[in-house]
Amino acid sequence: MTYVALAYGFIWGAVFTYIALIGRRVARIDAEIEDLRQRVKPSA
Amino acid sequence: MSSRMSSSLKSSTAFVVGLLLTMHGFFVVTFLVANAPLEKTMGIVQKIFYFHVPCAWLLMLSTFVCAGGSLAYLFRGSERGDRLALCSAELGVLFGLCVMVTGPLWARAAWGVFWTWDVRLTSSLLLWLMLIAYGLARRYGGEGGRRLAAAMALFAAADVPLVYLSVNVWRTLHPTTKVVSSLAPGMRLPFFLSLAIFSALWGVLLTLRMRVERAHARLVELTIAVEDAEGRSP
Amino acid sequence: MARPNWASQAARVAWKDLHIEGRSREVLYTMGFMAALVVLVFSFAFISGQEVTVGPDAVAGILWVAVLFSGTVALSRIFDRERESEAIRSLLLSPVPRSAIYAGKLAATAVIMFLVELLLTPLLAALFSAAIGPHALWLGLLLFLGTVGFCSVGVIFSAALLRARSRDALLGALLFPIVIPVLLAASRATATLLDPAAPDLDPAMFWTRFLVALDVVFVVVGLWSFEPVVMGE
Repeated sequence: MTYVALAYGFIWGAVFTYIALIGRRVARIDAEIEDLRQRVKPSA
Repeated sequence: MSSRMSSSLKSSTAFVVGLLLTMHGFFVVTFLVANAPLEKTMGIVQKIFYFHVPCAWLLMLSTFVCAGGSLAYLFRGSERGDRLALCSAELGVLFGLCVMVTGPLWARAAWGVFWTWDVRLTSSLLLWLMLIAYGLARRYGGEGGRRLAAAMALFAAADVPLVYLSVNVWRTLHPTTKVVSSLAPGMRLPFFLSLAIFSALWGVLLTLRMRVERAHARLVELTIAVEDAEGRSP
Repeated sequence: MARPNWASQAARVAWKDLHIEGRSREVLYTMGFMAALVVLVFSFAFISGQEVTVGPDAVAGILWVAVLFSGTVALSRIFDRERESEAIRSLLLSPVPRSAIYAGKLAATAVIMFLVELLLTPLLAALFSAAIGPHALWLGLLLFLGTVGFCSVGVIFSAALLRARSRDALLGALLFPIVIPVLLAASRATATLLDPAAPDLDPAMFWTRFLVALDVVFVVVGLWSFEPVVMGE
């Protein structure tokens, strides 16, 4: 029935959204690492 | 130094693989669940139970893990404990959201109302609210925010068993705690399998989130160190 | 000179606060006024028509909501004086055990709240024709237990939020979810006691015992966690 599908679908949607959000955070951290690396390089 | 961090982030992709495997398990569960016997009175809607109850269980688990991490942070100054508390609180909010959506859907389909003020659903709501408040305390609590949130987690965990006890006092629409042991045999396997896979999913998400948080913490340290160095040598 | 024991130190902290409060009566008045206003607001919001027929459930609920909201006012004030005069530092530097400070603050706040409640309950009874007579002592006990439960959590949060900017907005938001079980137990017990048509007092007995258990747990957690929460940074 539709309710079951809705419920199940919501859980999947929520979990994947969360993973996507974590992924964005990882990307941001990577960018900041790059930024730091640039700052460190000239003085090396 | 920076390469160590990015490699630790790259190994998180290994966890994504683990995640996918867990997801695959979902399909198995779906198959088994679909074949499980239909419950007498509620029919097909009862199948929501296979997802709803594990989510509620994970909400409780997250709360206790959060309290455990908070304990380590408050009494032993463990930064890792604090990270654990933060990550598990996030997961608790996530799975709590799932409970709060699947619960009313089930209630609506089975009993015609979106919300029943029975203690089971209500106590899940309370727990969920406490974890959200935990997040608020961390974010906006100022200097002592993390400690305040940690204390909150302790109170929340202490609350859990007490509220759970009052289930047996109220007559309620919600199945009482005895429902799991009185499951028809054909339903037991899919239920426990679903519970196991959901728990595995929780574990994977937690580990992943913890790594990201640890990477973030090291990044902050490094940034401070770099800025110090830059400030010292003009 | 003999070292003062824990209980007398806690009592000294409580007495000091109550003594200061006794002179200005600021918290008493603001909290009392707030509580009365909450009750009035409920009357205007819910009562319609000539006859004021509000069941015991609603009266109990209104009472405890008023306690909760006005109690938040009291809680946000207990450390205010320390904060304004930087006295918190000297308090923490003193050799008084932190748990005694906690207990003292808890006792002082609970006493102030209880005084307000003693005035509030007859007011409520008068407004809604509630029967507080038959079980007045038991009601008093419930008020006391509920207040202690509420304050045991509130003192910690108030202390932790001492220096936060959004202190007033946050205190209630953080406190209420945790304290709802106290509200629940207290109002259910009160409702049973106020209901002249109740078949027996078993529910009240259950919820009172539940409240005691809740209080014990919260006070223990509070005593334990006060120091690490306040001492940090």
